[in-house]
Amino acid sequence: MSEVTLAATTPSATAGKTPRKTGTFMPRLIVGAVLLIGWEVVVRLLAPPYVAKPSTVLMAIPGVLTDPAFQAATGNTLAAVAEGLAVALVIGTVIGLLMGRSPAFESSFRHYVNGFYAMPMIVVLPLFSLWFGYSSGTRFATIVFAAIFSIIINVADGARSVPRDYLEVARSFRSSRSSVLFGIVLPASMPYLLAGFRLAAGRALIGAVVAEFFLSIGGLGYYILYNSRSYKHAEAFVGVLLLAGFGVGFELLVFWVTKRFMPWYRRER
Amino acid sequence: MTASAATIAQPTHDAGAEPLIRVHGLGKHYGALEVFRNIDFDVGAREIVAIVGPSGCGKTTLLRCIDGLLPHDVGEILVGDQRVIDPIPGVAMVFQHFGLFPWKTVSENVAYGLRMAGASKADIARKVPIFVKMVGLAGFENAFPYQMSGGMQQRCGLARALAVEPSVLLMDEPFAAVDAQTREILQFELLRIWQERPTAMIFVTHSIEEAVLLGHRVIVLKGRPSGVHEIIEIDLPEPRNRDTLRLARFAELRERVWATLMREAREAEFVLER
Repeated sequence: MSEVTLAATTPSATAGKTPRKTGTFMPRLIVGAVLLIGWEVVVRLLAPPYVAKPSTVLMAIPGVLTDPAFQAATGNTLAAVAEGLAVALVIGTVIGLLMGRSPAFESSFRHYVNGFYAMPMIVVLPLFSLWFGYSSGTRFATIVFAAIFSIIINVADGARSVPRDYLEVARSFRSSRSSVLFGIVLPASMPYLLAGFRLAAGRALIGAVVAEFFLSIGGLGYYILYNSRSYKHAEAFVGVLLLAGFGVGFELLVFWVTKRFMPWYRRER
Repeated sequence: MTASAATIAQPTHDAGAEPLIRVHGLGKHYGALEVFRNIDFDVGAREIVAIVGPSGCGKTTLLRCIDGLLPHDVGEILVGDQRVIDPIPGVAMVFQHFGLFPWKTVSENVAYGLRMAGASKADIARKVPIFVKMVGLAGFENAFPYQMSGGMQQRCGLARALAVEPSVLLMDEPFAAVDAQTREILQFELLRIWQERPTAMIFVTHSIEEAVLLGHRVIVLKGRPSGVHEIIEIDLPEPRNRDTLRLARFAELRERVWATLMREAREAEFVLER
């Protein structure tokens, strides 16, 4: 990740990228190959034939990706995660900003936020399923619950550490309270907000999968569960790989958004 | 001294006009620490008053009180007929730390004060380029602060303050964070801009040269708790420019401010912290 950042910053770094990339690329490739070969060998020697191994997973990929049930399940889960994240982002940002800038708000909310943040999301599932039924409503609530507290905590940290210089300028130019909060504190907290959002995205994905396991409702998590229970381990594993891919994809998305819309970030201070 | 200085007619810049800023018996504490007491001075509507003093004497605190950023405990500050307790319209400040928002471009930073003052979009679109050009940043409208040198950043800070067309400009060691050559360039740019649109200006600095070059009067503050030690009339010819630096009178006045300040600085330096 770090060499990607550098390369994107200056043209001269792009020239220096190639030798460094090959320097880290080969060891990376070797480690990956050793892991895969070890896995293949161990499973072939010791495990029953239905246990997933790299060769069968690779062969299962085309079939799984073109399977309409798999596509629907993936779309279903992703839509739920996106929806839950959007809600968590908006509400979490507002609460975080208020907590960061108002001591009264901070002291009344702090312990609840920290407590809920530390609470394993799986323990709320039985409760949520009582309130919202065995439905996508419960999954949505779980995603929001999983995501919102890391956003609140990070945004509050960001809002607290806004440089005093900015606030002084805002006051000198007679800015209103709300324009300080959304015009100064929010953009100044963007790096923190992004860090919180990245954490939240990972947690939201976990929340969605766990909810699907628990509730047996359609989605990628349930697809994985169903296939591994029907001895289709290779197919289940394609789903697992896709979840890992989402993590990487999301990281890249955040990086691109940062570069495109916040060129000043990482260069100031 | 203070009373007589205020009533002396200013040669070319402020003949006979009512003072725009009046500071009367101003005092300020931080808890038990008394920062300054009994500060008295006036500033004319078209006058530059420079404030110098030993470091730590509260020059910047005084300026923040005048901007309404900090509350004062005793006395009063009047701008026109308005008492200052909070920032008021018509007064703009240029900060030592520039105070530019890193996520805004030059144009957006310059527009900030206007937006906060409730100017219309059309008004902002019309005015911003004027002030960007005035400070010499034409062509850099879409640059971000991180792409600019310190000198360019402070030009942007100056344009932001000028854009609200204030009647009072407060300058808090604005050129202290830029290198020596840039500082000199910016001083003459500031003089040129002031001659184009004169305002009342209070200029806090720790450079004696800068104070004498820019100020129509120089206020020397004394050590802690500080007060006005002396107000020195700077009777240099207008308009001030590079030639001003070569005048014998300039050297004389600089020496005079220096001598006054050094007495204070030495006393302030050899004080143990309590």
